[in-house]
Amino acid sequence: MSKAEAKPENQFEPKIIAFLCNWCTYAGADLAGTGRKEYQANVRIIKLPCTGGIDPLFLIKAFERGADGILVSGCHPGDCHYNSGNYHARRRWNVFRPLLEFCGINPDRIQFSWISAAEGGKWVETINGIVDAVRELGPFESYQKLNTIGPETTGEATAASGETG
Amino acid sequence: MIEELRKKAEELLKNDTVKVVFGYGEGSVPERTRPVFITKPEDVNKLTWNKYCVYNLTTYLKRQETRKLGKPAIIVKGCDARTIIVLLKECQIKREDVYILGVTCDGVGDPLATKCESCDVHTPRIYDDLVGEKKENKEVPFEERYAELDEYEKLGEKEKWEFWQKQFSKCIKCYACSNMCPLCFCDRCIVEKNQPQWIDSSAHARGNLSWNVTRAYHLAGRCINCEECQRVCPVDIPLNLLNKKLAKEAEKNFDYRPGYSVDDELAMSTYKEEDSQEFFK
Amino acid sequence: MEKLLNKNKFDTLIAGLKKQGYKTVAPKKDNRLVTLEEVQDASEISLDHVITNNSIKEFFFPKTEKILSYTLDKNKVEMEEPKGFAVKSVIFGTRPCDAFSLPVMDKVFNWDCSDKFWVERREAITIVTISCDKSDSYCFCTSVGLAPDAKQGSDVLLTKISNDEYLVETVTEKGENLVKEMESVFSDPPGTPDRQVATVEEKFDLKKIKPWLDDNFEHDVWDEFSNKCIGCGACTFVCPTCHCFDIVDECTMTKGDRVKNWDGCQFTMFTMHTSGHNPRSTQGMRWRQRIMHKFKYYVEKFDSTLCVGCGRCSRVCPADMNISEMLELIETEAGK
Ligand code: SF4
Ligand code: SF4
Ligand code: SF4
Ligand code: SF4
Ligand code: SF4
Repeated sequence: MSKAEAKPENQFEPKIIAFLCNWCTYAGADLAGTGRKEYQANVRIIKLPCTGGIDPLFLIKAFERGADGILVSGCHPGDCHYNSGNYHARRRWNVFRPLLEFCGINPDRIQFSWISAAEGGKWVETINGIVDAVRELGPFESYQKLNTIGPETTGEATAASGETG
Repeated sequence: MIEELRKKAEELLKNDTVKVVFGYGEGSVPERTRPVFITKPEDVNKLTWNKYCVYNLTTYLKRQETRKLGKPAIIVKGCDARTIIVLLKECQIKREDVYILGVTCDGVGDPLATKCESCDVHTPRIYDDLVGEKKENKEVPFEERYAELDEYEKLGEKEKWEFWQKQFSKCIKCYACSNMCPLCFCDRCIVEKNQPQWIDSSAHARGNLSWNVTRAYHLAGRCINCEECQRVCPVDIPLNLLNKKLAKEAEKNFDYRPGYSVDDELAMSTYKEEDSQEFFK
Repeated sequence: MEKLLNKNKFDTLIAGLKKQGYKTVAPKKDNRLVTLEEVQDASEISLDHVITNNSIKEFFFPKTEKILSYTLDKNKVEMEEPKGFAVKSVIFGTRPCDAFSLPVMDKVFNWDCSDKFWVERREAITIVTISCDKSDSYCFCTSVGLAPDAKQGSDVLLTKISNDEYLVETVTEKGENLVKEMESVFSDPPGTPDRQVATVEEKFDLKKIKPWLDDNFEHDVWDEFSNKCIGCGACTFVCPTCHCFDIVDECTMTKGDRVKNWDGCQFTMFTMHTSGHNPRSTQGMRWRQRIMHKFKYYVEKFDSTLCVGCGRCSRVCPADMNISEMLELIETEAGK
């Protein structure tokens, strides 16, 4: 469903992982699809019952496996299918996001939104927004570099040589 | 004060109020103390009290080896007493199962521990018996309590990343931090689970980042800033900065500080409709 | 061969080693820690400590290392073994106890199969030790048959003879070659050098330990001594002679790495069975294992004590568990 117009050559295409709740945002994304709305095709969706069940480790894992950006999205406050899952989630992200930022991860790489089943348009906007923002930031190389296990990350670097970043 | 402590301990053991006293004893060198578990009244002179009593002994409430010794009286400083409040609220202990022997405290460590510089619990906020002269618990303003963070929060994204990568690269995955933490009490830590392997057990850059971030995060809104994790880290990672950052966010966003009252609601198991959602689209 | 090395030649020495293609590892100070790590020039080296916080072990047996990588295809598996892990290096300024840990560990790493990661690094790395001119109350090398100026395991041994001079003694052929390669930085030693070597008090009689261990697998001291232990395993990780490891696969559906990581007997999980049963179910049993392995099992199997008396485990222990104190206690029990 990517846009028809010509893309600048060698343009970086970020990998975006979206963790969506089943009841609102996933349905919203579905609506965008059935409404034949176009948005950038950089997003891989992972559907979960509720934002309240999204462990911050899911986000870490996504970065470990090569995500350049992450979206977490669910029902608007008050609309949670399970009453309060999204409120609990909101508390979590309120501390987790600053923690990642404190560790040097650009907060624009992790975005949060409330998108209801009726908001196909907002879905399109949100996705295009995050894809553009992350494209601007470039590939998340510093995280992906952590994946190398070689002499450079073993004994020789144990004692804080700082070369592993 | 030492004499008073010993007398109290002796009394409690003699009249069978408790089976064991968790306290501080002399350590390997004069600059150290060590946890001691006194089960006989005649052993109470093994107890000591000085500025090297850094341990947060409440961690022994979670260990089967020390639980086995029977109902304890536990010597707690003000900061350690905050742990007891959290443990009570998280249903890890029952109030009647521990006898809290509070001590008033001017600060520990040499040089003085950072936590003590902004301490507002010189007199414990929960105890059955208090040893030492009661001290005023002066309030310390928010900014002062988190002043330690300023220089790190100011850093740019890249500097932050490099600073923490350098720190985390030292981690040897010994888990002294979580084993020592009285509030890390899961029987099986997430890092020990491998179906799936959420956190790599390897002490490489990737595994160390997810481990250190997760450990800190699991203490969000719970950590009472005893600084034990940082003290015991054999490679000197400033874990306390992470804990403090989370504490700051919890206080700023939810107006919550753990371990001050048995009656409040735990930050991470409740919510308010008006919680901040500044960065939600 | 005996030579003399002046401190003001350290610069030339380190630069010379670099020129000869050696990577140099030496003690470096960072905040509260002194760690053995790679240095580029002599100004980074710090020699004012009793012993480095990290042991020499990690340069031969790193905390984590890839031993294999693989890709999985529908009908084939491709494997690749790592190369280039053994880098020609000099470890400069380690201590005699650490150096001695190497021949002790050679025995286990060359036992029923030889561990090429260990063996190849052993060949590639030259050990230049500096005798201890001071010690602290945690040191007990003299109780396990060593000395602050012991030579076993070193290729070259340096011993302080004045504020800025070291007596240089070559111990092995490798050491001799290294000294020859760097000839210009050394001069002739004085006739009767005044060796400045620390005194380390003998804390227990090693001969009494094993016979007691042979008879006292079940004993109250195990639990009594270890009830403050929090089971963190820091002691095993900082120990130059603890060598347990765990092998894990870190993989996706299509590719992966097989990784060897430090592990230790003080962890609950170390002996946990899949069923949930744990044959070493208490910390007392785990502590006993550590002592038994070092002072009984290894002695029986390899005729060598698996402890060099560096004292690191006791220095680092968050609960102030002190191993020499345990051994003194055993000595007392044995005398009863
Ligand atoms: S934080 Fe307060 S109560 Fe705790 S050790 Fe420091 S001065 Fe004592
Ligand atoms: S995380 Fe650290 S400072 Fe916080 S309670 Fe646990 S040990 Fe204490
Ligand atoms: S105590 Fe330090 S080295 Fe050990 S696991 Fe924790 S952070 Fe890593
Ligand atoms: S002896 Fe000390 S360092 Fe070793 S596992 Fe026990 S508490 Fe940790
Ligand atoms: S057991 Fe302790 S004293 Fe012995 S070699 Fe290991 S760390 Fe050193």
